[in-house]
Amino acid sequence: MHTKSPLLEIKDLSVSFKVFEGDLKVLNGVNLTINEGEKVGLVGETGCGKTTTIKSVLRVLPSPPARITGGEIFYRGRDILKLKKREIPSIRRGEISAIFQDPLTSLNPVFTIGYQLQEIIKHSLRQQGIEEVSKKELKSRAASLLKETGMPDPERILKSYPIQLSGGMRQRVCISEALRVTVKLLLADEPTTNLDVTIQDQILRRLDELVEKRGTSILFITHSLGVVRHLTHRVYIMYAGNIVETAHTKELFSNPLHPYTRGLLKTVPKLTGEGVSEGIQGRIPNYLNPPEGCRFHPRCGDKMEICINKKPPLFNQGENQMVACFLYGR
Amino acid sequence: MNRRSRVGKVRKIKVTVEGGWVFHTLTFSLYNIQEYSMLKYIGLRLIHSLFVLFGLSLLIFFIARVMPGDPARVALGPLATEEQVQKLREEIHLDKPFPVQYYYWLRSLLKGDLGRSLYTKRPIVKDLNEYLPATLELVLCSFIISLVFGQVTGVLAGYFRNSWFDGLSRLVSYIGVATPSFVMAIFLLLVFSHILGFIPAVGRISIILRPPPRVTGFIILDSLIAGQFKVALNGLKHIILPALSLAVAHIAQEGRVTRSSIVDNIQKDYVATHVVHGVPTRSVIFKYLLKPSLIPTVSIMGLDFAFIIANAFLVELVFMWPGFARYAVTVMLNKDLNAIVAVVLIVGATFAIVNLIVDIVVSFLDPRIRLQRRGG
Ligand SMILES: Nc1ncnc2c1ncn2[C@@H]1O[C@H](COP(=O)(O)OP(=O)(O)OP(=O)(O)O)[C@@H](O)[C@H]1O
Ligand code: SF4
Ligand SMILES: [Mg+2]
Repeated sequence: MHTKSPLLEIKDLSVSFKVFEGDLKVLNGVNLTINEGEKVGLVGETGCGKTTTIKSVLRVLPSPPARITGGEIFYRGRDILKLKKREIPSIRRGEISAIFQDPLTSLNPVFTIGYQLQEIIKHSLRQQGIEEVSKKELKSRAASLLKETGMPDPERILKSYPIQLSGGMRQRVCISEALRVTVKLLLADEPTTNLDVTIQDQILRRLDELVEKRGTSILFITHSLGVVRHLTHRVYIMYAGNIVETAHTKELFSNPLHPYTRGLLKTVPKLTGEGVSEGIQGRIPNYLNPPEGCRFHPRCGDKMEICINKKPPLFNQGENQMVACFLYGR
Repeated sequence: MNRRSRVGKVRKIKVTVEGGWVFHTLTFSLYNIQEYSMLKYIGLRLIHSLFVLFGLSLLIFFIARVMPGDPARVALGPLATEEQVQKLREEIHLDKPFPVQYYYWLRSLLKGDLGRSLYTKRPIVKDLNEYLPATLELVLCSFIISLVFGQVTGVLAGYFRNSWFDGLSRLVSYIGVATPSFVMAIFLLLVFSHILGFIPAVGRISIILRPPPRVTGFIILDSLIAGQFKVALNGLKHIILPALSLAVAHIAQEGRVTRSSIVDNIQKDYVATHVVHGVPTRSVIFKYLLKPSLIPTVSIMGLDFAFIIANAFLVELVFMWPGFARYAVTVMLNKDLNAIVAVVLIVGATFAIVNLIVDIVVSFLDPRIRLQRRGG
C-alpha cells in the first residue's frame, strides 16, 4: 500500500509558550513519523497540542510567545528546525502544505476569495518558473480549483468575501488553496470541525479522493476517532503534549493498549463521532505546572509508583504498535 | 555606488508592486459601488451632515447672542456715543427678535456672504480666504507626517514586537502623547533654530520671497503649480517644524494603535495560511497584514484631525503662522458675532467632511462594513 521510507519524522519535540503567569510547557517530547504515501491520523482532546505540533513543522508558530525548547523535525532527512530563514520557503513550496483548523480565521477577511487564491496560485507558478500569467488564466485556474472541491458556482465565490460564505464553502476554499499544487505532504488540521455531519462527510471524502489522486501523504488531525477509522492507515493518540500510543488503525481499534486510548474508545459514539473525553474522569492538566512523570497519571486508573516520577518512553508492542505506558515495559 | 543605485531601483519596483493592493481595493470597491450603493450612502451622509451643520449654526447663533456683553458696544469701544452704538445695533439687526436675525443671516449665507466683522469691518469671507488655507495646509501637512511615520513605526514595532525597537518606540510614544504640542513647538524651535543654528523659520515663507500666484491658497502647492521650486522648498522649510510639533502626539498614538492591531492579527491563522502557501513575507506584511490592521487606525483619524485643528492655535502662535486658529481665538475674544458663527461652522464642516472621508476609507478597507450596510 505504501512504501516504508519516512517523509516526516518528529523527534522529541518540545514547545512552550511564554505567558504572563509563566511558561506553558505544552509539547513534552512529541514523536511522530509519517511515511511516504501514508495517511495518518492524529487524535486527541482539545488543547493537547495538535495544532502546535503542525505549526512547528510549518515554522509558523507565533514567536513570541512560542519557543521550541527541544527536539528535531526531519523532512526527507533535513532538519527543518535548523533551516535558515531564507531556506524555509523551499519546504513550503511543492513539499508541505496545510489546511488550518478554523476556516473562518484562515481566510483573510478583507480580501476577496479570488484575490487570495489567485495570488497563491501566482506564487506557486512562479516557483515552477512560470513568471507571466494573464489575469484571465489565473482566474480560470482558481475557478477550476474550486470546482475540483465540489464548490457550486465558483465564479461567484471568487468575487465574495469570506464572511459571505458558509462554513462548508470556506472549508472548500481552504482545501483548494492547499491543493493548488501537488505537494508531498498535507497537514489537515480538523478540516471539518463546526460543519454538520453530511457536509463533513462530503468534504472528507472529496479531500481523500484528491489526496489519493495526487499520491500525497496526509496527516488528519481530529477530535474524532470516527473520522480516522475510515480514512487513515495509522493513528497517533496524543495526550497533553505527548504521543501516548500509535498503531495501525485496525489494530488500534481492536487492541488499544494505553489506558487513555481505551477510555477514548469506550466513548466513541456510534454515529456522530463526537465527545471524546466523556469516558475519562478529570480534565487535561494545566500546562503551567503539568504533572511530573506520566502526564496522564492524575486521571489514570492503573497508576503505579513509577508513573509519578518517571516519564514513560514509547515501548514497542509488536511490529506496528507503540505505547508510552509503564504497564508495557520499564 | 553602482551597486547601491541598483538596489534602490529594485526596491522601488517592489514598493510599486505592494502599492497594487490599494489600487485593487479602490477599483474593486468602485466596481461594486452599485452593488453596495456606496453613492447612496455618501449622499445620505452629506444630507445628514447638512442637518447637523444647520443645528450647529442655530446653537452657536443663539449662544453668541446670549453671551454677556453688548457686541455693538465692544466693537465700537467705550468712547462711542449711545447713538452710534444704537445705529450699529440696527445695522446688524440686533434690535430684531432672534428668529428674524437668524433669517437675515441665513439668507445672506445662501448668497455666500457670511457678513462683516464688527471689529475690522472686513467681509468675513475675505478673512477666511486669507487665513483658512494657511491652517489647512499646516494641518494637512502634519496629518500626512503622522500618517506616514505612525504607520511605519507601528508596523515595525508590531512585527518586531518585544524587541528593543518596540520598547524604544513605546517609551518615545508615551513622551510624545504626554507632551502638549506647543511645548513641542517651543522645544523644536529651540533645538533647530538656536542650537543647530538654522535661521529661525517663522511665518509661511521668507519675507524676501514673493508668494506664488494664488490658486489653492496652499503656498507649497501653488508654487509647485507656478513652477517656482525654490519658493516651494522655502515653504516646506517653514512648515516642517510647526507641522512636526502638531504631528508628534499623533505619530505616537496612531503608531501604538497600529502596533497593537498588528500584534493581534499576526497570530491569526490567515497570516500563517498566506505564509505557508508561499506568499512572500513582504506582501504578507505590507498587504495581508497591514490592510486589516489599518482599520482601527483610520477610524481614530477623524478625531485626530479635530485635535490637530484645536492644537494648531498655540503652535501658530509660536511659529507666527498667519493662520485660522489664531484668527478664531481673536474673534472669540472680541465677541465678533458674525465671525464667531462663521468660525464654528467652518470647523464643524471640516470635521463633518473629514469624518465622512474616514468612513468611506474604512468601508473601502473593510468589506464587512460595506456588506452590512447593504442591509444584510
Ligand atoms: N498563542 C498561544 N499563546 C499561549 N498559549 C497557547 C498559544 N497557542 C496554543 N497555546 C496553548 O497550547 C495548548 C495547545 O494548543 P493547541 O492549539 O496546539 O491545541 P489543539 O490540540 O490543537 O486543540 P484543539 O483541538 O482545540 O484545536 C493550549 O492549551 C494553549 O493553552
Ligand atoms: S504510565 Fe502509569 S499513569 Fe501513565 S498511563 Fe501508564 S499506568 Fe497510567
Ligand atoms: Mg487545534
